[in-house]
Amino acid sequence: MAAVKRTKGANLFIRYLILGSWALFCIGPVLWFLSIGFRPRTEIINPQPIYLPTFSLDAWHMIWSDWPMAKYLRNSVAAIFGSVAIDLALAIPAAYSLARYKYRGRDDIGFYILSTRMMAPAIVAIPIFFLFRNMGLLDTIWALMLVYAAINLSIVTWIIRSYMMDIPKELEDAARTDGASDLRILWEIIIPAVLPGIITAAVIAMIFAINEFLFTLLIASTPDAYTMSVALANFTGGSDGLIYNAIALVAFLAFVPVFLVVIAIQKHLSRGLTMGAVKG
Amino acid sequence: MARIQLSGIQKQWGDVWGVRDVNIDIADEELVVLLGPSGCGKTTTMRMIAGLEDPTEGEIIIDGEVMNEVDARDRDVAMVFQGYALYPNMSIYENIRFPLRMRNVPKGVQDRLVRRAADMVEMGDYLERKPSALSGGQRQRAALARAVVREPQVFLMDEPLSNLDAKLRQAMRVQIKHLQRQLKITTVYVTHDQIEAMTLADRIVIMQGGTIQQIGTPDEIYSDPENTFVAGFIGAPPMNLISGHIHKGIFTAENIKIPGFNMQVEGAIKLGVRPEDCTVMDAKTKTSHMTGKVFSVEPTGDSTYLTLHVGQNKIEIKADRNYRADLGLIEEVELDTERLYLFDAENGQRVR
Repeated sequence: MAAVKRTKGANLFIRYLILGSWALFCIGPVLWFLSIGFRPRTEIINPQPIYLPTFSLDAWHMIWSDWPMAKYLRNSVAAIFGSVAIDLALAIPAAYSLARYKYRGRDDIGFYILSTRMMAPAIVAIPIFFLFRNMGLLDTIWALMLVYAAINLSIVTWIIRSYMMDIPKELEDAARTDGASDLRILWEIIIPAVLPGIITAAVIAMIFAINEFLFTLLIASTPDAYTMSVALANFTGGSDGLIYNAIALVAFLAFVPVFLVVIAIQKHLSRGLTMGAVKG
Repeated sequence: MARIQLSGIQKQWGDVWGVRDVNIDIADEELVVLLGPSGCGKTTTMRMIAGLEDPTEGEIIIDGEVMNEVDARDRDVAMVFQGYALYPNMSIYENIRFPLRMRNVPKGVQDRLVRRAADMVEMGDYLERKPSALSGGQRQRAALARAVVREPQVFLMDEPLSNLDAKLRQAMRVQIKHLQRQLKITTVYVTHDQIEAMTLADRIVIMQGGTIQQIGTPDEIYSDPENTFVAGFIGAPPMNLISGHIHKGIFTAENIKIPGFNMQVEGAIKLGVRPEDCTVMDAKTKTSHMTGKVFSVEPTGDSTYLTLHVGQNKIEIKADRNYRADLGLIEEVELDTERLYLFDAENGQRVR
């Protein structure tokens, strides 16, 4: 009895040790950012180890007073959520059609959608620049929304499609004989059933979008359309040199929105990521 | 109030035949069971009645109206599926209410109808649960409630009990039969389980390879099979089919001799006899028809199944519950000569 208890305790200890190390590994960079961000610039670039760090809000004040950080943050959030909304509005009907209807060329269309993902972004950068210039959308967050949405549309469609293919056909047959139209089946049966998949796809699209740099730099030429990722780059050049503590804080701010979203929908997300895997 | 007529129904996917020339006339309030092995076309036939599948040829007529071009949702049929097909995101209450909402039943009536349907299948206490929080039997009862809630013209049931264990299946069978009689709704029921078919059906339609083998009441199907397929499919254990010869009214095979046939047939033939029409004799007498060696003895409680090696054939016999014998013992068997069937040796059709 005692032996059993002891091994159980040891198991638990090892489990906590492993999980704790992993958690530290993940949260480490974030803590490091914060520690750099809230220390004076001179202390950060000092090559000697410092055992008693000084707390300083210099960088914090600087990023808010010298730069329109609130605007960047707003641009980022608007462009990202806008693009995800566009993606979902287009991808859900497309995925349903690819998953359920039989028509000529369906598989080709499916592949074509996916193949947009295989293209090197640099190839389309120039055409996209001219396209948006002609449309008068340069330097607006609308352009960012469209670009992010275009980049992510294929992956979002394919993730949702694979979830939809896992839904038993019987469910739709039942709804049809119960008197539901195609649209109501999609809205009342299919979408709730693939919600974890939709959320998973949305989060992945969000992470892609927040990290997007090339197209954002191309489209945004003034702070009007700067996002966090481009703002971050602004701290690396110029007469002031590398402002490490400000970079750390901006990086942290860029990370916060996604982090909050993931925390809020964590339950659905973990279910979504495993559900497809187990059934697929 | 619905008569269902299927006339000349064909279903083809490219070169693959699903259903060939199916003609069935189902009377109002009748419960018809489509019975057959998997891939025989029974489910396809049902799905065509539901409107979930379009026939390649032929007409589906419900209540005098040709339904071929009518969408599934406008046919006023309710279907129960093998996998229950409950909507996982909705509570049982919402599941049962769904067909009412889709058909714009007035809101004030909906609640009363949902509760009545749930009570009919004894699911009144589970209305707030999600389907995932129910057992298989409860889920199937909820699915039944969803089907009965709007009192459709036609019930379609696609192997509704095959995911349940044996005991539950028996209980649900009784419930389905009771509901159907109570509501008087024309019902088509698909199954591969001949016991289900026998116990539920007003009439059974036996299908194989996309074609109908025989249509009849359970009695007719059991005691008057049209061919060896029907004979072998109905009954548990199934009918013994013995290849032999007939000459001047006497059937012979190895260790078997049965006189007294008055049909005008000669030559190779198949004899059919059900296990329950065979009797083990105490001693060899003049009336003995076959001699065999005991191969196995299986007591089931209310009877004992005995398998005899008779020449090349294994013959199943339903013996008295107290019957016991050692393997290898030689037994004499008498057959009920009133209940013997002859089938053509070539095509398996009944010879009368």
